[in-house]
Amino acid sequence: MEAWLFVSPSAVGFLIFFLGPLCAVVYFSMTEWNLLTQQAAFVGLANFEDALLENPDFWHVVRNSVIFALGLVPLNMALALTLALALSRPFFGVVFFRTVFFAPVVTSAIAWAIVWKFLLQGEGGFINQMLAIVGISGPNWLREPNWAMAAVIVTRVIKMVGLNMILYIAALQAIPRDYEAAARLEGASRWQIFRMIIWPLLAPTTLIIMVITTIGSFKVFDHIYQMTGGGPENGTLVLAFYIYQQGFKFFNIGYASALAMIMFVIVMMLTIVQVMLRRKGAE
Amino acid sequence: MTNVLLKGIEKRFGSVEVIRGVDLQIDDGEFVVFVGPSGCGKSTLLRLISGLEHISAGDILIGDRLVNEVQPAQRGVAMVFQSYALYPHLTVRDNMGFGLKVRKMPADERQKRVAEAAATLKLDTLLDRYPRELSGGQRQRVAIGRAIVGHPDVFLFDEPLSNLDAELRVHMRSEIAALHKRLATTMIYVTHDQIEAMTLADKIVVLRDGRVEQVGSPRTLYENPANIFVAQFIGSPKMNVLPADAAPLLAALPATLSPAESVGVRPEHLMVVKPGEGILRGKVTLAEYTGAVTLLHVALADGHTCLAIYDKQEMPEVGAEIGLKADARDLHFFDSHGQATKLRSN
Ligand SMILES: Nc1ncnc2c1ncn2[C@@H]1O[C@H](COP(=O)(O)OP(=O)(O)O)[C@@H](O)[C@H]1O
Ligand SMILES: [Mg+2]
Repeated sequence: MEAWLFVSPSAVGFLIFFLGPLCAVVYFSMTEWNLLTQQAAFVGLANFEDALLENPDFWHVVRNSVIFALGLVPLNMALALTLALALSRPFFGVVFFRTVFFAPVVTSAIAWAIVWKFLLQGEGGFINQMLAIVGISGPNWLREPNWAMAAVIVTRVIKMVGLNMILYIAALQAIPRDYEAAARLEGASRWQIFRMIIWPLLAPTTLIIMVITTIGSFKVFDHIYQMTGGGPENGTLVLAFYIYQQGFKFFNIGYASALAMIMFVIVMMLTIVQVMLRRKGAE
Repeated sequence: MTNVLLKGIEKRFGSVEVIRGVDLQIDDGEFVVFVGPSGCGKSTLLRLISGLEHISAGDILIGDRLVNEVQPAQRGVAMVFQSYALYPHLTVRDNMGFGLKVRKMPADERQKRVAEAAATLKLDTLLDRYPRELSGGQRQRVAIGRAIVGHPDVFLFDEPLSNLDAELRVHMRSEIAALHKRLATTMIYVTHDQIEAMTLADKIVVLRDGRVEQVGSPRTLYENPANIFVAQFIGSPKMNVLPADAAPLLAALPATLSPAESVGVRPEHLMVVKPGEGILRGKVTLAEYTGAVTLLHVALADGHTCLAIYDKQEMPEVGAEIGLKADARDLHFFDSHGQATKLRSN
């Protein structure tokens, strides 16, 4: 009993701020809300049925989210690991470089998106001017669906890669230097040392990074909101942004709640799959 | 035939000079121990020989081949690390076979070599375990096994026993001695423990501050230390060093004291006598009974303290006056620079 009293402050906080909203979303997802009359009508699973079976936009949006994740996660992780390998050992200026790559992580997503939107302008944009110098005529990045998707992925990777880089640096620094020395003495090449020793020892970190990056990529919202607004031709309309539109633009709170539940299940399943793959890989 | 020759070896890390000119000859099949206080550069010297660190100046020859620019793996050396450096995600078998695998040795040949080394080190039953499932002593053996399978020309050991408890350390020490006897390979062994050095070495190299203080057999270092540092580093408990004036009080001397400034005498060579019999007198301040012998801390009249080993039954009481005597043969004389010196006979 006493124990319960001691944890009660945080338990109450947990109930109010975490469990409460979660239950609310579950309830809302089974209602149809009218924001103007402030009335919620219980409709059972109708919202889910509509999203999964009837609304063609839904699957288009899920597909966009999957493409976004498939582009972002591997690119982010490969870049993060490359940077970490280069920046895990001390050398003159290493702190400067780490800071440079980490700084975007803590800058405002909106500001970041505005700057890139400006740089990626079709005519006279900085990127296209640079490309013109080497004789490439760049596309109108944010106005063509495929290029727009590529552009939001790449600019998001550049913004967030610093976080994963730091996680990888921490993991690399935790590997005793003697492992590498021993392997070098035994004749292993740099690639063999990476492949046979470093990479396996990084596996737990790789899993965590993969999971949080996947979750993050499904939740991406402010970036898309500012850079493309979901366009062109809904080419970058991803799930989180679509939920926002349904909820706060069209005021379909019940429908948006149902979509949020579906997104939760998708992300949960992806996480479980990743953890299971790792388990199997470790055997 | 694998001798190792170091000529004028220097090593700097940035502006810090860690090895300051080391010349050393190690003969084929010799067991050489580098000993010295922590931070004196023992590990660095070993890493220079292995090629893990690059020398700043000098020449290294292994088996009469200049290896200054030779990659570590091509030098024919194997190293046992203080941390063991076993790969945690690989089994004992794969740890031991790692070097053979990266060198593309066929699998069956590899298995044969691993089995052979495992048998030598009594690791047969542990081959499928992971390092985390082994005791400290077993890990140590795997680390040695990993060094053996490559059939190196020179073994390098960096304080391999320092993570083991006292009992296991004594046991592994004898196993390493036995291994050297069987393989007859050149071995270079680093330790800060002078007992390990004395028991294992054919030849001891005493290092201080990146310099060689003395090279010699354990007996040479014990009986004829070249300077006060070596005299006090080798032997336990450490040698008493007193002003040279004390020498005539300990033993009858045939010579004048010059140029000696100080005299050293080991605790085990000091004889405790009744106050009247010895001329050097002192008062017992502490008696440490260890079973076989008692270690007496004696305060001399001039304020110096010296240690004496006492092996008789009836113990002098703390506070008792005693006399000290020694054999003239057991006295070591040092000049004003701390270097060993002989008395001039008149
Ligand atoms: N990579 C390095 N960079 C800078 N200083 C080092 C490095 N390795 C060793 N040192 C310094 O060299 C000295 C000798 O180190 P080491 O050879 O490890 O001593 P020992 O093994 O005798 O205890 C120490 O003062 C240590 O701080
Ligand atoms: Mg050391």
